[in-house]
Amino acid sequence: MSMLELGFWSFPFLLVMIFLRAPIGLAMMLAGIGGIWLALGETNMFMAKLKSETFSTFSSYSLSIIPMFLLMGQFATLSGMSSSLFKAAESWLGHRKGGVAMASVGACAGFGAICGSSLATAATMSRVALPELRRYGYSGGFSTATLAAGGTLGILIPPSVILVIYAILTEQNIAKLFLAAFVPGVLAAIGYMITISIYVRLHPDAAGTREPIPYSERIRALLDVWPVILVFGAVVGGIYLGWFTPTEGAAVGAFGTGLIALVSGNLNWQVFVQSILATAMSTAMIFFIILGAGFYNSFLALTQVPQELASFVVAQGFSPWLVLVLILIFYLVFGCLMDSLSMILLTIPIFFPVISAMDFGLVSLAAMQADAAQAVLASGIPDGLGGDMLDGIKAAIASGAELTREQMDALGIRVTKGMANRAEAEHLAIWFGILVLIVVEVGLITPPVGMNLFIINAMDRETPMGETYRAVLYFVGSDLVRVAILVLFPSITLFVLNL
Amino acid sequence: MTRFMTGLARAMAIIGGLVLTILVIVVCVSVLGRGGDTLAHWDWLEQSMPWLSNAILGLGLGPVPGDFELVEAGIAFAVFSFLPLCQINGGHATVDVFTAQFPRRFTDWLITFWEVVLTALILLITWRLFVGMLDKIDNGETTFILQFPIWWAYAASVIAAVAASLVAIYCAIGRIIEITTHKPVLPNSEGAVH
Repeated sequence: MSMLELGFWSFPFLLVMIFLRAPIGLAMMLAGIGGIWLALGETNMFMAKLKSETFSTFSSYSLSIIPMFLLMGQFATLSGMSSSLFKAAESWLGHRKGGVAMASVGACAGFGAICGSSLATAATMSRVALPELRRYGYSGGFSTATLAAGGTLGILIPPSVILVIYAILTEQNIAKLFLAAFVPGVLAAIGYMITISIYVRLHPDAAGTREPIPYSERIRALLDVWPVILVFGAVVGGIYLGWFTPTEGAAVGAFGTGLIALVSGNLNWQVFVQSILATAMSTAMIFFIILGAGFYNSFLALTQVPQELASFVVAQGFSPWLVLVLILIFYLVFGCLMDSLSMILLTIPIFFPVISAMDFGLVSLAAMQADAAQAVLASGIPDGLGGDMLDGIKAAIASGAELTREQMDALGIRVTKGMANRAEAEHLAIWFGILVLIVVEVGLITPPVGMNLFIINAMDRETPMGETYRAVLYFVGSDLVRVAILVLFPSITLFVLNL
Repeated sequence: MTRFMTGLARAMAIIGGLVLTILVIVVCVSVLGRGGDTLAHWDWLEQSMPWLSNAILGLGLGPVPGDFELVEAGIAFAVFSFLPLCQINGGHATVDVFTAQFPRRFTDWLITFWEVVLTALILLITWRLFVGMLDKIDNGETTFILQFPIWWAYAASVIAAVAASLVAIYCAIGRIIEITTHKPVLPNSEGAVH
């Protein structure tokens, strides 16, 4: 068997192990070690590698961001901010049709800004919002579905553990990914609110009503959420402005939410230990998968499967859009079976080279040149720029043509094809990352293994699972519409990078 | 035995969590120190309020030296100490949609099988980590800034990995006893299958 065949057959073999309930990290490790063994015919290489591989994976500075964000999320659940956020959102939206459900979504979005995990967001917000929803006469399935969908905002709105993993796998800038995730995250919240308003129009008896409350109270409630804004601004803003590294940002966030929890009086030794134990469980689970993925990916790299697959797909001349849509559908289907993190660690090393080889035309050289030229011209016409030359440049910009070398020299700018290609690669990586993030999160609210559904149904025993399933389909529909919009209009995700 | 192993897993996780918390604080102190230093050297502040700038400089603020190295050494120990808890609670990510369709007895055998394989792998990792530590003692490698021997960091991780191995062996034996005698042994044997 050739290396390539070996690499190719390892994938179904790996899937069979996973479907036979092997821990996913273990399955990837076995496939990786077994594959390297078969490929090289000897064990010395990985036995030598194993001496330092585990330690270097676990001691990675960039991965240390993960336990810190998880700890931050745990402290956030104790900070009492969930109820302040809910009160603020509820005071502004509660009197509308379906308003308490909309407020739950809004509060989830706010909580997602200080918590990078969907499960923690769903669980924490449900504790606050479920009793209120029931009190105002919202039906069981509608309430649980709203919170399950709202919970996914925990990971869609930065900081987000999944985006960190994606950034590390694809060597992208975490700050830019966080920034790009923000607008799609807000769109998700708005989409869910629209979904709620459609749902209550179709099922008028699913929601109760209440009287509006005075604006003075609303503003007071809104002011109570300042710690959330402060922590989010410090973490995401600080990382983006380069005040600190993403890992330092996570530490600042963990410290900030820890401090809020301490001041609010919710943090004593016992709950602190609970936070640590929860962080420990998730961290160990995630790092074990990362370790396994490391082994499997070094095997795949050895067999050259990702590169070969990429050149094969390009050689077939498929439309890039078709390839993208197929990959997204793959994630939607697989997301119904597997948790999002394992899925990303398993498939991004295979799909990312394929997508990177495609040309979506996200960046145009002529437009980049025109931007640079206009920036120069806006600050006055440079000395020695002749009238003919200026007219030529203006004509080129107006017609969307690329500038010539002479024209750029005259302006004193230099925008090359190489620069455009690098910008295209970065834009593509970020756009694809956000799309994948959204489609894998849909898996959290789709039966049969939607973890958010389980968590919330466990908190509301009176509501049968079937009712939640029926209502959650509306939110899945909203997710699909949003994915379609973001695929069709890449600039919604990418415009922030050009600001 | 169950109580000892559960206690060990919990204690390791708490120690690891305390190390993580200390790292968070060290990093924050480092960020603040660096921020203070930048502030003191801010042109505007130096010119308009030199006394304040000098006062801040007088505090001797600056980033914690080698914070990067401390995070790397500490986080490795923390992750290794988190493993036993995940192991004993059956916390590793799995896909159980398909096995849910199988007879319960068959699923139990599968779980036991993977538990044994996982234990073998954790033992392999611990052994290789130990050999890696011996290598680092031999070559006397130190970190760049703090100049502490790298094998110290390895040694801390080896201790945690040995705890993980003990818990793993216990889990594997526990599963085998459970499946042959039909008596629950592990703390989570009900929760593991849903």
